[in-house]
Amino acid sequence: MALRHFFKHLTILTSSYGFCTLSSRFIHPSLTTLFNNINPKTQPLIPTKFSLPLSHCYTSVSHPSTSTLLSPYLSVRIRCPKDIADVFSEALMCFGATSTTVDEDDNCDTSNEICIESIFPESEDVDVCISQAADSVGLKMIPSYEVKTGEHYDWIKKTQESFDPVEVTEGLWIVPEWKTPPDVKATNIILNPGLAFGTGEHPTTRLCLLLLQRLIKGGERFLDYGTGSGILAIAALKFGASFSVGIDIDPLAITSAHHNAALNDIGLENFQLRLVSSNTSSPSTDEHKDIQKQTSFEAVAESEHETYDVIVANILLNPLLELADDIVSHARPGAGIGLSGILSEQVPCIIDRYSPLLDNISVSEIDDWACLSGTKKLTGN
Amino acid sequence: MSTLKEILTRRPVAATIRLTVPAGGARPAPPVGPALGQYRLNLMAFCKDFNARTQKYKPDTPMSVTITAFKDNTFEFTVKSPSVTWYLKKAAGIESGSSRPGHVVATTLSVRHIYEIAKIKQSDPYCQYMSLESICKSIIGTANTMGIKVVKDLD
Repeated sequence: MALRHFFKHLTILTSSYGFCTLSSRFIHPSLTTLFNNINPKTQPLIPTKFSLPLSHCYTSVSHPSTSTLLSPYLSVRIRCPKDIADVFSEALMCFGATSTTVDEDDNCDTSNEICIESIFPESEDVDVCISQAADSVGLKMIPSYEVKTGEHYDWIKKTQESFDPVEVTEGLWIVPEWKTPPDVKATNIILNPGLAFGTGEHPTTRLCLLLLQRLIKGGERFLDYGTGSGILAIAALKFGASFSVGIDIDPLAITSAHHNAALNDIGLENFQLRLVSSNTSSPSTDEHKDIQKQTSFEAVAESEHETYDVIVANILLNPLLELADDIVSHARPGAGIGLSGILSEQVPCIIDRYSPLLDNISVSEIDDWACLSGTKKLTGN
Repeated sequence: MSTLKEILTRRPVAATIRLTVPAGGARPAPPVGPALGQYRLNLMAFCKDFNARTQKYKPDTPMSVTITAFKDNTFEFTVKSPSVTWYLKKAAGIESGSSRPGHVVATTLSVRHIYEIAKIKQSDPYCQYMSLESICKSIIGTANTMGIKVVKDLD
């Protein structure tokens, strides 16, 4: 049985959709990133942490049909005259660049040149693209540029560095894994978000956490629909829920949530995670069939309809509209349901869709974001 | 015009980033990841924000986003609807424009298509002051450079 080690700051997986267990492998002696076995029925994660030098980063996918999450990219640095930088970047985008970045130059140096950093997919022919862009803008000669292959751990490491402990409300802190909690006596949720959503800083996460504090009185069964990093499911347990389930369509999210559960000393007896296929409600979509996980939500959760006391879904407007019936079907009558990930202007739409299903609908807002809460209707359905 | 107060409290800009992201499909992977990660911006916040704001577009429409990253690791962004050429190609059902525009006609579109495209474009931040007619004219101009002919009615 292979040991499960964790990369100290980062749990990166190349996502192999369609696998329900990711096997651990050594790709190369100097790259030792291991994958966990994410079958929730077997053992819990062993939280041994292994600190590796950051230059040995991680791995390339050998599975051909999956995502381009960590595929290499080309990073090109171009020098061009300042006055046409804007137009030139737009032209580059038209001709194949996936992104262009122009640094602001505070100290006006004497040269009137500026650097544009552009990112191209690996398969793109950079020379052709730049010369076409230069042509279309009217440059007489092709600007000088240099190409290098981009390293993924650079930007991933930088984003990781920007997380600080955040106090959501009094007595509740969200702390990144590598920092110490500022207030040891408060309820601290320790997180390593990886590439899944939910660091606690976003207004929607905050709204949901505040809602959870109100709804969870102790002993409830909680469902986190679209769990991301697992932050809401973990928070529910910390507030006193008896049982927490998190579901998501993204395997990276499930792995991240597993890792975070382990960080908070939560075992599998009251915490479960499930990866579900994303076409539960629209069987006509064909594009993702070959990378879908086989377990459909209906098969797993047949016995679990109408058993949850609190459900929170922090996703996006369109999934919330499409999956309304599915989300509400998991709640027992009278259960509390929270919906977020919606902008304030999208609230009327959600209210329309959910008013036949929920009573006591109320809306709370932070900045531009809103959270809708209600209780499942006691009759009907 | 910005007020004096805005100018005084304007945060120092670190960089301007342009990206093309499919609507509702922003993920912390390339292209978003490397471009924003360089400036330590909160990737997830951007993805969530962008996805929420592009819910009203069809999924996977390539939206062009311009992000202004400030030195204090905060950012603002504006989303623009896809380019006119993309709309024209979709409306005509072709993959690319004509190889010899002006000489070889790739396909034809009716004025109704142009009108529909102009209506979408009108909600773009930089087109709002233009009259529908002038937007249509500029779309027809773009169509001509692609070798797409515009006729009054398609048979």
